[in-house]
Amino acid sequence: MRESLVALWQHRDLIWSFAVRDMKARYKQTALGIAWAMLQPLSMAVVFTLVFSLFARLPSDGIPYPVFVYSALIFWTFFANSISGGTVSMVANSPLIRKIYFPRETLIVSVLLATALDLLLASTIFGGMLLWYRIPLTAAALWVVPLVLLQAILSFAMASTLAALHVNFRDIGHGLPLLLQIWMFASPVAYPISAIPSWLVPYYLLNPMAGIIDGYRRALLRGLPPDWGALGISALITVVVLAAALPIFRHAERTFADVI
Amino acid sequence: MSDIVIDLRSVSKRYRIRRGWQVTSLRDEFARLGRRVLGRGVPREEFWALRDVSFSLKRGDVLGLVGVNGAGKSTLLKILSRVTVPTTGSFTANGRLGALIEVGAGFHPELTGRENVFLNGSIMGMPRREIQDKFERIVEFAEISRFIDTPIKFYSSGMQMRLGFAVAAHTDPDILLIDEILAVGDASFQAKCLNKLSQLKEEEKTIILVSHSLSNITDNAKTVVWLDQGKVRMIGDPDETVNAYLEHVTAGASATEAAASAAQQISDAPVHIVDVATYDSADRVQATFDRGDRVHVDITVNAVRALEHAVFGVSVHDVHGYPLGGIVTDPDAIKISAPVERGVLRLTLDPLILNRGTYTLDVHVRDAKTKRYLAVRRRAVRIVVDGHRAAGRDTTGAIHYPHQWETIR
Repeated sequence: MRESLVALWQHRDLIWSFAVRDMKARYKQTALGIAWAMLQPLSMAVVFTLVFSLFARLPSDGIPYPVFVYSALIFWTFFANSISGGTVSMVANSPLIRKIYFPRETLIVSVLLATALDLLLASTIFGGMLLWYRIPLTAAALWVVPLVLLQAILSFAMASTLAALHVNFRDIGHGLPLLLQIWMFASPVAYPISAIPSWLVPYYLLNPMAGIIDGYRRALLRGLPPDWGALGISALITVVVLAAALPIFRHAERTFADVI
Repeated sequence: MSDIVIDLRSVSKRYRIRRGWQVTSLRDEFARLGRRVLGRGVPREEFWALRDVSFSLKRGDVLGLVGVNGAGKSTLLKILSRVTVPTTGSFTANGRLGALIEVGAGFHPELTGRENVFLNGSIMGMPRREIQDKFERIVEFAEISRFIDTPIKFYSSGMQMRLGFAVAAHTDPDILLIDEILAVGDASFQAKCLNKLSQLKEEEKTIILVSHSLSNITDNAKTVVWLDQGKVRMIGDPDETVNAYLEHVTAGASATEAAASAAQQISDAPVHIVDVATYDSADRVQATFDRGDRVHVDITVNAVRALEHAVFGVSVHDVHGYPLGGIVTDPDAIKISAPVERGVLRLTLDPLILNRGTYTLDVHVRDAKTKRYLAVRRRAVRIVVDGHRAAGRDTTGAIHYPHQWETIR
């Protein structure tokens, strides 16, 4: 654990270089450029608003549905993109992995960094929405920082496990989009936790993203600190996943070059 | 001072062969697992790319690595560069490691030369500030200053390789792995690379060198390892090891080629080369000579019919197959007026002007009028030149010119 952190810190320049490469290369020869970073969550918010609010009339805890859903979608996009990007990052960089040694987890962290920048860009639209709907931000909004950190650790743990598997089994690449879609509907993105039957809530909260997404909404839209019970479960599960992910990745990493 | 920098102890590497390099799917893996659980083991094909390789290097050592393709050189480099780990055995390296292997592997085509220098530099382990300090020198070395802000997808492959090499050469490592240093760029850039190599040697870097140019290895290495089918066949003095390796390679090649060319004899040709052998001045069959010796080359032929204008030729090649010189008969010198069984033509080389090394002779017969080849025998015979004269003074290059020195003024 400490070893990994030290290695990552020593290679911070490399992580940054990878992130810059990914961001620059991603939007080269596109007409809209970095606007794509905002378009993805925004278009989903529009579709969700139409389907779930206008047609299905889902509850949203009294908050205007577009803000309600967008506030979760930007963080979910961060989560989904960092996991799918991190999972394929080994195979996507296979020429490098076959020829040069560097700590492989730098690739996953650099994906996190690049998608975090997308999150930052998408947040500007969120700021606009808050102004439009006259929802004031309070000091509780600062809870977003530790929440994003926790989510990033969870993403890192998930992505490194899946990346190690993906090198050996390309099935992961096919199954992952499906898994992420199911996971999103199992998380309070399109609906509030209050919509879950109370007997189901304890099991529902075993999904670590449930407590985290709920935390964002409370902090940003309702000026409240996170629900400590829910967030505690999220943190605990994140630690467990990380503790499993690090040795799995460490072990698999040694022979990436042979099988990739 | 003489700290061990690299230490390999009975390193072996096993690869599992996947048929056709198919990407495994979970379904196959489950099926395999199922069969394993049921007690029906699935023997996977495997092969050992390296077997029990041990050596250690100190600071300032230069190790040359030779071996035919598939001998395990690349696998060894992969282990040394920490790209992969040995299956058994241990490997330790102390110091910053740099590799001139497949330079430019980290380049991204959409990024400019400048951006790629920083990307590649940090992949090789340089902090950003260090790259900034060395940037001018890198660009100058690569000779691409005019195009440094152009995306490298517009670079020629030579430019990309030069830039990759320039970055790698400036990583300032303690241990340097070099694979085919001379595969990059034109003659002047290659000269620059060789200068860089001598500079690194002077700086007491530990260097591991792989090259198909064996003279490159003997010129630079202090020790040479000869890998054969994953095992260390020989380790030691560069000249001795390289010569042993060469003898092994040329012997294997001439045996197979002789068989092939015997089978290839042009069937309707009027003449066949049956045998080629070398004899010493006492007329004994001999394959090893010293410089200055008299060498007889006897060419045994069968002639099916009379041959008016046959030209016989012998050419001498060095171990790389590079021709050093050819000797042919005059068009009218040899007349075969009737069919012959096992006629022998003798060529005498006196004195032998070759320096120490292994050489092969090609023999051919042509029709002087039509210029058509009637019979060809490549690597018909191999001679080894060794001895106190050949190993003594004036042994640069393959040829020793008959000469005299005098003061004329």
